[in-house]
Amino acid sequence: MYAATRIKNRQRVCRTLVAALLMSAGAGAASAQDQPTISMAINQSPWLDSFVAMVDQYEEETGNRVELDVTPFGGLLEKIRNSVRASQGSYDIVNVNSLWLSEIYSGGFLAPLGEIEANYQLPEGVLSYGNTTNWDASAATFSSDGALMGVPVNGNVQVLYYNTEIYEQFGLKPPKTWDDLFANAKAIQEGGEYYGFVPRAARDSIVYNFTPYLFSHDAAFFRITGPDQAEVTLNSPEGLKALETYVKIATEAGPPGPGNIAQGELIQLMATGKGAQAIAVIAAWGQLEDPNASRVVGKINAALLPAGPDGMIASSAGHWVAGIPKNVAPEKQKAALAFLDWFAQKERQVDYVRAGGVPVRGDITGADLGDEAAFRFIEAYSQNARHAVMGLPFASAAEASDAMALSFNRAVIGELTQVQALNQAAADLAGVLERAGFTVSKLPDL
Amino acid sequence: MNRSRVGGLLANSVVWGYALMILGPTLWVLSNAFKFKIDIITGATLSPFTWMNFQELLFSRQSDFLANLFNSALIGVVSTAIVIIAATMAAFTLAYLEVKPWVRWAILGWALLFHMLPTLTFVGSWYLMYSSIGLHGTYFAVIMTHAVHNLPMALFLMVSFVGALPRELIQAARMDGCTYAQVFWRIVFPLVRGGMIAATALTFIFSWSDFAISLTLTSRDTMTVPVAIATFAQEYDIRYGEMAAGTLLSIMPALLLILVGQNFIVRGLLAGAVK
Amino acid sequence: MAPAGLDEKARRNRRWVVVSLLPVAAFFIVLTAFPVVNLLGLSFFHVEWQDGAARFDFVGMENFRRLFSQETVFWAGVRNNIVFAVVAVSGQMILGFSMALAVKTAGSYGRALLTGIFLLPIVVPPIVIGTMWRLIMGREFGLANTLLGFFGLGPVDWLGDPDLALASVIFVDIWHWTPFVFLLMLAGLESLDGEVLEAARIDTVSRWQQIRHVIMPMMLPTIAITLLFRVILSFKVFDEVYLLTSGGPGTATEVVNFSIYRTFFRQDQVGYGAAMSVVTLFSISLIIILARAFVQRRASRREAAT
Repeated sequence: MYAATRIKNRQRVCRTLVAALLMSAGAGAASAQDQPTISMAINQSPWLDSFVAMVDQYEEETGNRVELDVTPFGGLLEKIRNSVRASQGSYDIVNVNSLWLSEIYSGGFLAPLGEIEANYQLPEGVLSYGNTTNWDASAATFSSDGALMGVPVNGNVQVLYYNTEIYEQFGLKPPKTWDDLFANAKAIQEGGEYYGFVPRAARDSIVYNFTPYLFSHDAAFFRITGPDQAEVTLNSPEGLKALETYVKIATEAGPPGPGNIAQGELIQLMATGKGAQAIAVIAAWGQLEDPNASRVVGKINAALLPAGPDGMIASSAGHWVAGIPKNVAPEKQKAALAFLDWFAQKERQVDYVRAGGVPVRGDITGADLGDEAAFRFIEAYSQNARHAVMGLPFASAAEASDAMALSFNRAVIGELTQVQALNQAAADLAGVLERAGFTVSKLPDL
Repeated sequence: MNRSRVGGLLANSVVWGYALMILGPTLWVLSNAFKFKIDIITGATLSPFTWMNFQELLFSRQSDFLANLFNSALIGVVSTAIVIIAATMAAFTLAYLEVKPWVRWAILGWALLFHMLPTLTFVGSWYLMYSSIGLHGTYFAVIMTHAVHNLPMALFLMVSFVGALPRELIQAARMDGCTYAQVFWRIVFPLVRGGMIAATALTFIFSWSDFAISLTLTSRDTMTVPVAIATFAQEYDIRYGEMAAGTLLSIMPALLLILVGQNFIVRGLLAGAVK
Repeated sequence: MAPAGLDEKARRNRRWVVVSLLPVAAFFIVLTAFPVVNLLGLSFFHVEWQDGAARFDFVGMENFRRLFSQETVFWAGVRNNIVFAVVAVSGQMILGFSMALAVKTAGSYGRALLTGIFLLPIVVPPIVIGTMWRLIMGREFGLANTLLGFFGLGPVDWLGDPDLALASVIFVDIWHWTPFVFLLMLAGLESLDGEVLEAARIDTVSRWQQIRHVIMPMMLPTIAITLLFRVILSFKVFDEVYLLTSGGPGTATEVVNFSIYRTFFRQDQVGYGAAMSVVTLFSISLIIILARAFVQRRASRREAAT
């Protein structure tokens, strides 16, 4: 108790020192004082409370006001579209989910941050989650060469969850490769009491769930080969290997009927201790640690996702990026950027984690958080975040995802063979890319 | 005699069996309002009791459920009143009076066409319309849109109910020298009360449970109950307990209205019988 | 004097006709003309957003061509939706009508109690119905399988088994929407002429005959209108499917409105989504027109027979 207090005190001293240093240095480009009130569209979520705590802290420190318009997750995209498409926007900051980023970026609705504040750069250490903070309009894709479009506000990537108690019972170690994962899952499944691995293979989430398998096998859905040119590479031998691995793990070492297992069922199985391992976003962590919602408090741990045959690792990004629309007044834009810049600084991010949020930086270590057990996820999160990828980096990502999801889902429930599913998904993807204006080449069918 | 008693017993058991089928799941859903999430997701029937969900719903900083209830009630009552009055008047005219056929076809045909298209495809247009005249987020915008959205069904129902009245009665009244307005207020209006109440109940319920329109057209201050309840179905955390608590609180006014309404139906019948 | 009075009455009557239709007409013109015309028009366009502004490309019948030649999921949805409409609506009509009859003949207390219970499902917000039934029908911890377990049956994968999923969704829809039919049937029954019913009770032999030959014919207008709206609403089903299965597994529970949601809204292909809406509109209209013709022909044939 005493030690913990001392650590906290020491941190507080550190934090004040850092703050003083920053202020004396003029606190970077964006000044946080005397800004107009800004409004932000944000979704209700498990991490909202921690974000609100940061808004409170910002208001207290600077005297500026940030108003949050809290919307159900299912309605935020609609509200954002309505606002940014109007001649005069109602939000100065829009909180954009990784799934919608390409649509909002390519539509030209957001003001590049470098235009609001000349040469503005993300603070050192802030993650870009597979370059998703930057958009290259000429190539119509995410790219580090593109303009900076937003600041991540809630980090979120997939991690491997595993139940340490079940692992001990079976004498297992966290897997390094997909084969390890399958072996672990198989051993647990054969024990008869638990499900070895919980896939998230329902139609609305399977593409997201399959992405790390695909990319760690050194494959991809497609690649951009030149201006307005793309090659569909999904139906490669590596892609087939990835899908085979996915289907094998999903159908041989997990619960029956994986074709309708979505996020809700996955968390249900993990929280009740029935599922031993799963790949899910770090945003689920809080629930698994909440005694009112979970039977596995303190028993779950997070790890780096398994590697493919050549040691490659990938994790699907599921983060949120705050963008500043073009259709609001310049002084509001400046105020919005000042807030976002303030928020992304390391000390605020440590506070954010303490309040229950997931940081948007990769440089926060267990030590920053006093090595408290409650934050034991942080190392695994940071590792996975560095391997974050966006599987479908182009404007019609939602359409492509929906189209391919059906084939993958049918492969999992046995309506299609893996080869059929892959060929069909590749053909569908090629169609979407063509409609999006690409000249498309495609590998021959498997 | 014996056979009919057996038949009666059988019919009775079917009726109460169906009632149980409705009541069982509903009570289970509502009982979740008093459970911890872990007990809900494990499907426990008997479990520790908690007020936590109500606390979150009513007193947490993000939630303003009493205001949402008020908004829903206001929007539901006003839009329903508008719909039923407009639909009943029009129904009488369309069912009995000499109206040019194209007018009848235009109104009923358009109502049906509009009703058959998915609401979802309209909300963007409505948002544009209201925000361009500065009415977005107001009660007025939601009330008017709920009204027009529920109007086709109410109109058709009222045409059917009004059309089922004895034609001779209306002819007789017109022979007696009543104006159309008098026929409507003195004959049609009292006789069609049972149907009106059914249409009212349905219209109110559709307004009360609408999500698509309310989501887009309300702001923080005019947010309705279904939108508020939907905030608990989050991307990574479905908060069943709070949803159940919200449902429990939102069912009560609607249920009360229906029970009162059903008394009206009985009285409507009596009024019809005395004629 | 008398002609002047007649004139006055005619004038008032004309005014009534206009005034009584005006609110409905005004509502439709002001609030539906633009959205509907916009939607119908969009089906001939491809819309893209660039530099914050929409670019409308006229593509003629391209959206329809694509829908009829390249689309598979939408048509799987159409097939499922037809099954859905037929089974769910029949179930609701039969249950709703029977329960209304039962309530009508019950004693006053039973009547109030049963009405209250039967109406419960439609006052629960659809989003709650979807999420909660997904829990109830869950394979692992669901209430349905717990109950089956008491009889040594199950577990059944209600929503995860492709052969069962549509049936499960239909079940939930019947559960949810039977009250709609019940309420209208009850109102229809209440408005029937008491004397005719009393006479019929004395004349006819069995209760079934009374229902079949007296009550049903008198209720025909109400039944027809209820059927019409249930069929339309069953083609607009969305919340339940979205929350229970999201159209899966495979395309087992895909329905028309869910395809439109994904296309029009989630993928933001408004032109193509509008084309889907238009095709759906024509299909439902066709079904309604055919059903109407069928009923009328049967009615006229019966009249000719008697």
